[in-house]
Amino acid sequence: MALTHEDVRKIATLARLRFTPEEEAKLTGQLAKIVDYIDQLQAYEGAEPAAAAQGVRELEDRPHGCLSREEFLANAPASMDAFLLVPEVKAEAGKGGGHA
Amino acid sequence: MPELWELSVEETARRVRGREVSASEVLESCLARTARVEPLVGAYLELFEDEARARAAEIDRRIAAREDAGLLAGVPVALKDNLNLKGHALTCASRILAGYVAPYTATAVERLLAAGAVPVGRANMDEFAMGSSCENSAYQPTRNPWDLTAVPGGSSGGPAAAVAAGSVPLSMGSDTGGSVRQPAALCGLVGVKPTYGRVSRYGLVAFASSTDQIGPIARNVRDAALGLQVIAGADPNDSTCSEEPVGDYLAGIEEGIAGLRIGVIREADPSRLGGATADNWRESLDRLARLGAELVEVSVPSLDAAVAIYYVIATSEASANLARFDGVRYGHRSERADNLTDLYFESRGEGFGPEVKRRVMLGTFALSSGYYEAYYGRARGVLERMRHELGSALERADLLVTPTTPSAAFRLGEKVDDPLAMYLSDVFTTPASLVGLPAVAVPSGLDEQGLPLSFQVMGKPFGEAAVFRACRAFEREVGWVVAPSFKGAEAG
Repeated sequence: MALTHEDVRKIATLARLRFTPEEEAKLTGQLAKIVDYIDQLQAYEGAEPAAAAQGVRELEDRPHGCLSREEFLANAPASMDAFLLVPEVKAEAGKGGGHA
Repeated sequence: MPELWELSVEETARRVRGREVSASEVLESCLARTARVEPLVGAYLELFEDEARARAAEIDRRIAAREDAGLLAGVPVALKDNLNLKGHALTCASRILAGYVAPYTATAVERLLAAGAVPVGRANMDEFAMGSSCENSAYQPTRNPWDLTAVPGGSSGGPAAAVAAGSVPLSMGSDTGGSVRQPAALCGLVGVKPTYGRVSRYGLVAFASSTDQIGPIARNVRDAALGLQVIAGADPNDSTCSEEPVGDYLAGIEEGIAGLRIGVIREADPSRLGGATADNWRESLDRLARLGAELVEVSVPSLDAAVAIYYVIATSEASANLARFDGVRYGHRSERADNLTDLYFESRGEGFGPEVKRRVMLGTFALSSGYYEAYYGRARGVLERMRHELGSALERADLLVTPTTPSAAFRLGEKVDDPLAMYLSDVFTTPASLVGLPAVAVPSGLDEQGLPLSFQVMGKPFGEAAVFRACRAFEREVGWVVAPSFKGAEAG
């Protein structure tokens, strides 16, 4: 398929990424070339997966230790008391989701 | 008399355990060597000499007290910067993890420590292990010790360059589609991608969870086998880690390959590439025949699709795995956002480099509504076909062989602006990753410019012992000595 600027913008929004027009132009060309290469898969006949995944076992669902709150929060960019701190959650994000 | 830094992993541990030399003396020799070569190569993002000295001294105390010092007693190791070591920075060579401090230690690293290994530093890599040249590191390029104008390969370029330069005899990388084998190949080393599930992934930062495996890089096959011996085995913290018993990899490693059936994959014949790789490939097959192996031709028609399958599956998994980097819980947070949605966009935009963004985009596309069946679903289907085909090939043959890479090391900058050309250098390494087979890269000679070439041996699931045995026989036949020339370094 031929990937368009519009496709790239839509995917960027889904991926929570934003690009400048110059970056977007370069990226569209590169992704189009890669997707074009990947399109060769359409020429292959697929096969059904084996019934059970090899070597994967279910873990017993048993409580066990994990990082303490202090250890976890030590890597947080911002926290207050025992909580992670984030900016205001607005219904109408200023730029988020759109194209810069 | 060789210097201590020149000793093999096996010899180092033997001498340290036998009190012929102390772990501290070994470490000082490696650190002195590192001080000389690191300015040329740039293999490390951080060295932790003081902590390494304390650890070496502790091993010397254990030995003085007649305690068991372990299989890797006093062996200095470099760790790829996506392996957690508690209390140390961990960045995956990404700006988005600048300032992150590992809150726990990866299982494989715990096992290295328990075996007496001495971590000396965090080694450079392509950002989030995405790349084949180490040029995607957000911090620095790493140079190939054989030629300083060439790439060391990737994504475990730092771990490979550190070993090739003589800084350490052993390093740990991670291999998702060739990220241990390809840099080992380009640096003239042995690199191991274990069977999926052989080594715990607990504490390895996830890239593509269905193919990620930690693997050792060393200067010879026995050392690489010893490295895997230490880190392999079941782990309650990773449900994909197998409980299959770990054999003794060194026990039968010298037994040779007479009578073994070795499958030569028709579709991987590099003759069409021409040049040194093709000549070297024919020479390698002759060596196997001289060693008494029976060569059989096998066909894996889906092999030509390996790179296409891989770049759908791996990027899809990466787009999900990297969604966790959102500027909220850890890692970089943008200062330009005044609401939560913008925080995600700005933090990720500032934190991720171009290749990571490219792959997250590609994976998001392959998983998106309307394209999922045509891309992700199709790639899964062709992957299953490849699994059947490789399985059939491994019924006809004990082992399968291919070149490790289509060419020797390329120039720094040569493929930076052509991501597809970079991806195609993974053509021979991706099949074992996708299907979960063990695969080892072993040096096979030099090209006309004096750069290393490499041969890949793949085995049956959990058949590492047979792969090592074949690689060891091959290595003996080649008579390989790791002797990088640091071409391009100024005199003196």
